[in-house]
Amino acid sequence: MKQIGRQFGTLVGLLALCAVLWALTPYFLTVSNLLNVVEQTSINAIVAVGMTFVIVSGGIDLSVGSIVALSGVVLGTALQSAHALPVSLLLAFATGVACGLTNGALISWGSLPPFIVTLGTMSIARGAALLYTEGRPVSGFGPGFRSLATGRIGFVPAPVILMAAVYLAANFVLTHTTFGRYVYAIGGNEEATRLSGVAVRFHKTMMYGVSGLTSAVAAVILTARLNSAQPIAGIMYELDAIAATVIGGTSLMGGEGTLGGTLVGALIMGVLRNGLNLLGVSSFLQQIVIGGVIVVAVLLDTVLKRKR
Amino acid sequence: MKPLCAVMSVFAIAACNRGPASTATGGRPTVALVLKTLNHPFFVDMRRGAQEAADRLGVTLQVQAAEREIDVEKQMQIVENMIQTGIQALAITPSGSREVVSVLVKANKAKIPIVVVDTRLDPDTAAASGVRTETFVGSDNYEGGKLAGEYLVKATGGTARIGVLEGIPGHETGDSRLRGFRDTVKLAPGMSIVASQPANWERDQGFNVFQNMLQAHPDIDAVFACSDLMALGALEAIAAAGRTGAIRVVGFDALDDAKKAIAAGAMAASVAQFPAEMGRAAVESAVRVIHGEPVPRDVKVPLELVTRNTLK
Repeated sequence: MKQIGRQFGTLVGLLALCAVLWALTPYFLTVSNLLNVVEQTSINAIVAVGMTFVIVSGGIDLSVGSIVALSGVVLGTALQSAHALPVSLLLAFATGVACGLTNGALISWGSLPPFIVTLGTMSIARGAALLYTEGRPVSGFGPGFRSLATGRIGFVPAPVILMAAVYLAANFVLTHTTFGRYVYAIGGNEEATRLSGVAVRFHKTMMYGVSGLTSAVAAVILTARLNSAQPIAGIMYELDAIAATVIGGTSLMGGEGTLGGTLVGALIMGVLRNGLNLLGVSSFLQQIVIGGVIVVAVLLDTVLKRKR
Repeated sequence: MKPLCAVMSVFAIAACNRGPASTATGGRPTVALVLKTLNHPFFVDMRRGAQEAADRLGVTLQVQAAEREIDVEKQMQIVENMIQTGIQALAITPSGSREVVSVLVKANKAKIPIVVVDTRLDPDTAAASGVRTETFVGSDNYEGGKLAGEYLVKATGGTARIGVLEGIPGHETGDSRLRGFRDTVKLAPGMSIVASQPANWERDQGFNVFQNMLQAHPDIDAVFACSDLMALGALEAIAAAGRTGAIRVVGFDALDDAKKAIAAGAMAASVAQFPAEMGRAAVESAVRVIHGEPVPRDVKVPLELVTRNTLK
C-alpha cells in the first residue's frame, strides 16, 4: 500500500506539472506535443527499467550509457555489413547482455562494489565502442530499420509502443515471477535472502544482465532515431536513468520501488525539458530547474518516510 | 507539494520575464536559433550577433542549446519542441551533420524554413532524406585549414615536424579544417605531420593529449589545433615543458584568450572566424525567407589569419 501511495504522489506531481504548463503555454497540451514528449522520453525510460531492477536490489549501474553506445555501434556495423535486421538486433542485444552479465558476475562472485565495477565498465565499453568504429559514427540505414523510430502505428510513434512493451514485460517479471521477488528480497536484506537458500549471486548477476538488455533496446531506438550509431552516444545517460528511477520513488538503499514510478519519473523529466523549451527558458536555467526537481523530489520522499 | 510550488514559481518567473513576446501570436515573427552549445565563446558571440540583428529587424529570437556540444539527440529534442511552438523560421548549427537531418525533415513537414549555420549537413544524408534548407551561412572550414597550413609553411621556411590536435572525429567542421591543412602541408616536402590525435574540442584534453605527444615526439616544433581551446591547452603543456615560444602553435577561431597569447608571443597565429557575423547573417536570412524574399544558397562569412603583425 505504501508503494502505491508513493507512486500516486509522483503521478499527482506529473499531472500538476502538466497543468502548470497548460496554463502557461498554449503549445503544451496538444496531441502532437504530448506524443512528442512521450517519444522523447522513451529512450531514458527504457534505460531506467534496468536501472530500477539494479537499484531495487541495492546496487547501481553507471555503465548503461556506454553500453548504449557499444550496443549501438555493434548494431550499426552489423546493419551496414548487410546482416539481416533480426541478426543485427540479436547481436546488439547480446552485446548489452554480455556487458551486464560481466558487471553482475564481477559484483557477485568478485564481491566488488557495484559502483566501482560499473564505473570500470563505463570506461571499458566506451573505449571499446570508440575502438570498434575508430571514433567515427556509423551512419545511413535502410527505411525498414529506421521505422523503429520514425514509424507510427495509428497515430502512436513506434518508440512509444516499444517503451510500453518493455514496461509491460518488465513489470510482469518484477511483480509476478520469483526472480522479481528476489530482486526486492536481495535489496531488502541480502544476507537473510542468502540464508534462506536463494542463489543470490546468480540472481544478482541476472539483474545486471537485465540492465544491459534494456540499454541495448534503448540503443536500437537511439540508432534508428539518429540514423547513425555514434560511439560518443549515451554520455550521462546513467544520470538521467538514476534520476528518473529516484524521482519515481525507488530507494537508493534498495528493497523498494516500482516500474510505474520510474515511468512517471522519466515522464516528469521529459515534460520538464519540453516545457522549459516551449517557454523559451534559458538553457542554463533549465539545468538548474531539472537538478532542483531531482533533489526536492528525493527530499520530499525522505521527509514523508520519516513521518511514517 | 513543495517541489511543485518551487517548479511553478520558476515557470511563473520565466513566463513573467518573457512577457507577451513569448508567443508567436503577438504579430512579431519568431525565429529559433538552436546552437550546439552555449558554453563556448564562439556560440556566445554568435548569439550576440543574432540578437542584435533580431532587435534591429523587429523579430523575436529564441535561443536554445543542448547542455553538451556532442549531444545531438538533445538538440533534436529541442528542435522538435520548437516546432511545437509555431516558430516562423529555424536557424541551426547542427551538432551532427548526418543525425539532425531527420528532425529537419520534421521542420519541413511543419513548413518551417531552415537556415543552416556554421556546420554543413552531410550532402549524401541530406540528398537521401530529401530535406529542404533555404541557405547555408558559414565560413569555408577547408579554406581555413589551408590558411593555417600556408602560414606554417611560410613561417617555418618549409621544414617542420608537426603535431595536430583534431576535433571530435566525424564532425564536418573539424574534418574540413584538417583536410585543408593536410592538403596544404603535404605540398611542402620538408613538412611532416608526426602525430595527429583528437582532443575533442576541449582545453583540458588539448593539454593532456599534447603533453603525451611531446613525450613521444620531443622534436615537434609546430602545432596545428583545429580549435583555439585545444591550442590553448597545448600552450599550457608547452609552458609546463618550459618550451614556450619554441614551438609554433596555430589555432582556429581567434578567441580573446588566443589573441592575448598571440600578442604575448606564446602563440603564433589563429584563423579568425566571425561568429557574431554568422549569427547576424543567419537571422537576416531567416527574416528574408519569412518575408518571401530570395536568399542565396550560400552566405559566405570571411576568414582571416590573425598573427602578431595583424594585431598591431
